[in-house]
Amino acid sequence: MAGSNEVNLNESKMVVPLNTWVLISNFKLAYNLLRRPDGTFNRHLAEFLDRKVPANANPVDGVFSFDVIIDRSTSLLSRIYRPAQDGEPQLNIVDLEKPMTAEVVPVIIFFHGGSFAHSSANSAIYDTLCRRLVGICKAVVVSVNYRRAPENRYPCAYDDGWGALEWVNSRSWLKSKDSKVHIYLAGDSSGGNIVHHVASRAVESDIEVLGNILLNPMFGGPERTESEKRLDGKYFVTIQDRDWYWKAFLPEGEDRDHPACNPFGPRGKILEGIKFPKSLVVVAGLDLVQDWQLAYVKGLEKAGQEVKLLYLDQATIGFYLLPNNHHFYTVMGEISNFVSSDC
Amino acid sequence: MSPYDSATSSGGGSGSSASSSAKPSEIDGLLAGAGYKVRSSDLRHVAQRLERLETAMVNSPVEISHLASDAVHYNPSDIASWVDSLLSELHQTASMPSDLPDLPDLMVAPAINHTVVSDAAWTDQDAPQQLNQFTVVTAMEEDSGIRLVHMLMTCAESVQRGELAFAGSLIEDMQALLTRVNTSCGIGKVADYFIDALRRRIFSPQSVCFGGSGSASPYENEVLYHHFYEACPYLKFAHFTANQAILEAFDGHDCVHVIDFNLMHGLQWPALIQALALRPGGPPLLRLTGIGPPSPDGRDSLREVGLRLAELARSVNVRFAFRGVAALRLEDVKPWMLQVGPKEAVAVNSIMQLHRLLGSESTRNSPVEVVLGWIRNLNPKIMTVIEQEANHNQPGFMDRFTEALYYYSTMFDSLEACTLQPEKALAEIYIQREICNVVCCEGLARVERHEPLGKWRARLGQAGFRPLQLGSNAFKQASMLLTLFSAEGYCVEEKEGCLTLGWHSRPLIAASAWQAVPDANSPLGIVNHHSNHNAL
Repeated sequence: MAGSNEVNLNESKMVVPLNTWVLISNFKLAYNLLRRPDGTFNRHLAEFLDRKVPANANPVDGVFSFDVIIDRSTSLLSRIYRPAQDGEPQLNIVDLEKPMTAEVVPVIIFFHGGSFAHSSANSAIYDTLCRRLVGICKAVVVSVNYRRAPENRYPCAYDDGWGALEWVNSRSWLKSKDSKVHIYLAGDSSGGNIVHHVASRAVESDIEVLGNILLNPMFGGPERTESEKRLDGKYFVTIQDRDWYWKAFLPEGEDRDHPACNPFGPRGKILEGIKFPKSLVVVAGLDLVQDWQLAYVKGLEKAGQEVKLLYLDQATIGFYLLPNNHHFYTVMGEISNFVSSDC
Repeated sequence: MSPYDSATSSGGGSGSSASSSAKPSEIDGLLAGAGYKVRSSDLRHVAQRLERLETAMVNSPVEISHLASDAVHYNPSDIASWVDSLLSELHQTASMPSDLPDLPDLMVAPAINHTVVSDAAWTDQDAPQQLNQFTVVTAMEEDSGIRLVHMLMTCAESVQRGELAFAGSLIEDMQALLTRVNTSCGIGKVADYFIDALRRRIFSPQSVCFGGSGSASPYENEVLYHHFYEACPYLKFAHFTANQAILEAFDGHDCVHVIDFNLMHGLQWPALIQALALRPGGPPLLRLTGIGPPSPDGRDSLREVGLRLAELARSVNVRFAFRGVAALRLEDVKPWMLQVGPKEAVAVNSIMQLHRLLGSESTRNSPVEVVLGWIRNLNPKIMTVIEQEANHNQPGFMDRFTEALYYYSTMFDSLEACTLQPEKALAEIYIQREICNVVCCEGLARVERHEPLGKWRARLGQAGFRPLQLGSNAFKQASMLLTLFSAEGYCVEEKEGCLTLGWHSRPLIAASAWQAVPDANSPLGIVNHHSNHNAL
């Protein structure tokens, strides 16, 4: 029985390139050191080990970035990525917040992954990913540095996501065609989960979200599904670590039927009949939580919401971190179509 | 055919930067983008080590807990050495499990060379320095604020082109605009200082530069420095990071000698003296040589500081000796003045001093080369280097001006959190002096020639130094002290063995530690004024 006590590394080696295997295994080992059995988190070591990169107002490969403070009271930072205009190599402060053109420029609010506990907006892997999104979607990307568990449990991450959405929606310099900000929400792992909940909150407001992009979103529930049992420990992830992260994020004493974890479970909100954004949900075929992700897609369908499922057979978690596999290019193409189809 | 081969056909190519040196093995470019340095040819080996580590860690919660809380981690970017250090930690605390599953690809690997020799090839990868890292920490909604910045840039541009009359008229316009902007905080305050600096450059550079911080008495400088120390954590971070590294370097030595390149009030040293007093096995004999400017009014301020420190040392039973070396400039110091003894363990401590040596036009025997040369000859156990993390030494005025505007905006923003007065006000004057020097002065008068970590790495590597890595224990201590003493928003980051302190994700100050590389061609030894023979 593949449980946490068995080390079975051979299967994961077969399905990813060597450098991806090294990268994700390195994360896995580091993360094992950071999660304490008593539910606390070794934050100092986590920050020490995390590879971060500064913002760069000089365009690199056509993209420049800068950090903004969205809410001083919670130190909520976001990193903004913009495409550089041709023939403008030297940027100064004034250009950073220059209003955009009359064409539609999508603004993608991005929530990085890390199971609610790891990583930051300025983590190297996410800085790289966001830069790619700018190029692929010809979009502005706003990467939100939301508060993390276990120090900040539900609903902090969602509150920060909401704060970022309000902020983005009210920036005059992010407006494009029709004098409005064309907003998409995107995220991987816990970030995908945040996308859903921020979009849910948005339907009750007058802020329009044009689309949700969920990459290997983090959902769960109290039962052990077939995929969890089958894939436990085989492709970098274990049931035990998933349990730990939910326990760290959800309010104390809550179980995994909490709507944050299980939005279409018994305690979830009804989405029927409301104007929820269209969704693109990417599921990796070797991700042990895929049954929950597929249940999420079904939940959206049953509620009459527009959703496209992209199921990638042999993909593991983190396939989108390095552009060295065809899943990566497939997904980037889909995201690009998803975001541009409104123009 | 191994499982990896088929999967790597499209994978991990060579580094994206076209490195001109013909290295036998390139660094995996994709992992580099994720912040890790692994040679492509090492990938398989690293994977095996990762496997081995995982196998050793599984079923061992005690081991995991030990690795997490007790072991010191270094330079996570170098996955190979990080994994190996964890493996050797495990081997020290527990014997290898006898039921280690058969891993056919695993060979008995030769011991990895852990030494942290500054690999010049890897430093090249750093070379495309990210210039103009910018953190907008204030909401720039005010139109007036944006216009001010625009005018500042235009003014700086005209200064660069030599159109001083036009630049001067812009100063007047900007000063008018300032009256409509809140100058007590945010973009208004920063703009106020930069307009002032530009005005001085255009109308009265002499008053700044050839009076300059020379016209300010050493006493004034010390007072401003002290208030900057109190108002924000940059200097405190410098001191405790350096002290931690020095303490570790002095481990096992009975005679130690610290050379401080800028003594000021000696604020750094009480903590080190106390830490040495508490050292298991008892404190060493501590000598401190403090370098500082001569006092104009006949006081011997260096000696006064030395006496106070001696008092403290006596009260905690640390044998202590002090020597003051008065010099206007670091390049005026000669090694024989420091009287380094043959059996001492030496620590050289430079807090924001090395950049002052970069002002010379000459490329051979420049002051920085000369000074680094004699430091190296002292063969110190450690040289701690703390420098502003900024690119303020670029030749083009616009580049410097822009970079300074970004850098000091961030620094002023971090100061907003400080409520102590007059510390905050005087700290601002301290910073303003730096700004003026960067903006107004040229040639030898411009001493604030800050360069970023990447450049210092290259420079120190070329001068025959190799990095000593600051590890997770120093990182943790710095983070914890910041939480205790400073507002939220400061962040410590690890960057390849060095630590930086920044505000809201923009690093502002970088701390690193160095050691001389032994070299058969230029033997290290004490240089005394009689001969250059190796005294060892």
